[in-house]
Amino acid sequence: MKTTMNHPHGRMRFWIAFGAGSVALALVPFLTSSEYVLRIVTVVLFWVGMAGCWNMMSGYTGYIDFGPVVYFGLGSYATAIAMTKYGVPFFPAVVSAGVAAAAIAVPMGLTTLRLKGAYFAIATFAFAETMKQVALEFDRTFRVSFFEGSHGITLPISGLDNTFFFYCFFAATFAVMLIHYGIEHSKFGYGLKAIHEAETAAEIAGVNTTGIKLRAYVTSAFFLGIFGGMEAYWITYITPADVFNVHKTVQMVIMTLLGGMGTFFGPLVGASFLTVLSEILGTAFVEYYLIMVGGIIIVIVLIMPKGIVGSIKDWKGIRFA
Amino acid sequence: MDTLFVQAVVNGLLQGGFYAAFSAGFSLIFGVMGVVNLAHGELIMLGAFTSYWVFAYFNVDPYLSAPLAMALLFAFGYLIQKFVINRVIEQPHIMSYILTFGIHLMVANLALQVWTHDFRSVTTSYSGYNWFIWGINIPFARLLTFFLALAVVACLWFFLSRTETGRAIRATAMDKEVARLMGVNVREIYAITFGIGAAITGLAGAFVSPFVIIYPEMGLGYTILAFCVVVLGGMGYMPGVLWGGFILGVAQSLSTTYLSAGISVAITFLILFVMLIFRPAGIVGKGTVA
Repeated sequence: MKTTMNHPHGRMRFWIAFGAGSVALALVPFLTSSEYVLRIVTVVLFWVGMAGCWNMMSGYTGYIDFGPVVYFGLGSYATAIAMTKYGVPFFPAVVSAGVAAAAIAVPMGLTTLRLKGAYFAIATFAFAETMKQVALEFDRTFRVSFFEGSHGITLPISGLDNTFFFYCFFAATFAVMLIHYGIEHSKFGYGLKAIHEAETAAEIAGVNTTGIKLRAYVTSAFFLGIFGGMEAYWITYITPADVFNVHKTVQMVIMTLLGGMGTFFGPLVGASFLTVLSEILGTAFVEYYLIMVGGIIIVIVLIMPKGIVGSIKDWKGIRFA
Repeated sequence: MDTLFVQAVVNGLLQGGFYAAFSAGFSLIFGVMGVVNLAHGELIMLGAFTSYWVFAYFNVDPYLSAPLAMALLFAFGYLIQKFVINRVIEQPHIMSYILTFGIHLMVANLALQVWTHDFRSVTTSYSGYNWFIWGINIPFARLLTFFLALAVVACLWFFLSRTETGRAIRATAMDKEVARLMGVNVREIYAITFGIGAAITGLAGAFVSPFVIIYPEMGLGYTILAFCVVVLGGMGYMPGVLWGGFILGVAQSLSTTYLSAGISVAITFLILFVMLIFRPAGIVGKGTVA
């Protein structure tokens, strides 16, 4: 059965629903006067975008990247260094952070994407940890003042309110979702899925697998760099331990898995659910929060390995995008 | 050769033995089931805590109470595999990574609730005892652990190659469908394998308790180190953990001595990364390659 979205009516319905949802979301700053609500919605958008970045590469191809946080961290540092040391304004700094992350992703992708399974996962993880240590130790080892080591970098205080950052994250996450739509409806996307199903067969059928994987990897890195830069300016203070934190990677993986890997709505559902849940659990049960998250992960893997979106599809026979 | 260099190499080798001791179980579990056990460090933590409590309450030397840690961890590993991990073992490997990460979070944070964040240590009569040979300083406890690590790897090797259960485990690792046709109960073998992997890891945790700091969150760092050791030696190739442990131990020790401790961590991961790209089957080329 073809997906309903490929059907003209289905596609129209999808655009109406997606457009209406986006417009409603874009109006949130006007609808609420609560800074708290606005901040939560911004955090949700941030995580939807981050999980989406992971999903567009690892979710669709099945190449499990355990080090995406490296591009987030590099984006944070690129933005921070550009703004504090060279006086670059915010927007050019963030865009250049994305470009820098993508530029580093090209050689990294070319080397690591030849690896498979656990080896790819470990190599990407090792790269992320290496970069964290480099950011920590570079200055002390070479006696320069660049990454500022464990002191971290304080960015210029923006004086901008949450609404500004809401729209920043909204725009980036919207772009990530549009790319997901593109993946669902293009030869590029079929290529990614073919790699997931049977890479050798795809290669024999004439799919340029390495090229496609690399495109997904670099696109994902570009957006992660942008998210890193925007978050750095939002938080205004970054340290290597924070922006290269492996827990960011874990969040992205778990949110996508929870929602459904390799699906359009997966990161959207998973990230929203988990962010709101952790907001509730984190405030109510501060001490037991991580135990609960561990338990939730185990339960999800055991009872609905295809994630929320995948399980709904199976139960109802409904096809989403 | 100057003494500093020799001392650094000796320290590295001793450290390498310690690395090999806690990485053998990781390699076994990966080699047989393809499970990258992200809760591996928690097994070390539980082993070390077992020794600690036995020492604290009954004043029994950690080297003597090690069999208890081994038995407890065998039971823990066997049950986890039988009732939890076996349920996803036929699915893509990503599921087992994520599942074991969930186990890591639960065990580490439960331990944190129960035992608090205090740093603990087992201070035995010989804890600060060193030998000086030709100006080289050799800590007694580390040397003992070094030889016990060699013994553990040798015993494991013997078990896998000479016993009936060991043969069944190797057969399952090679081809689980054929093993099943030959009458091997694959799921039971998986549970036993995880149990053995956990047991030798718990044993290693008990062995290292006299000279490491014991606290509930110690696990993740060891999991990462075990990753590196096993990749260097060759995934699933048992004697490879000795190669991996020694190379990593010496490399870290030299870079700590001549550069800085922080850079030595970066060098660890750099070695890991370069190895994965150029020699994914490990330094002696006998590991499994995906």
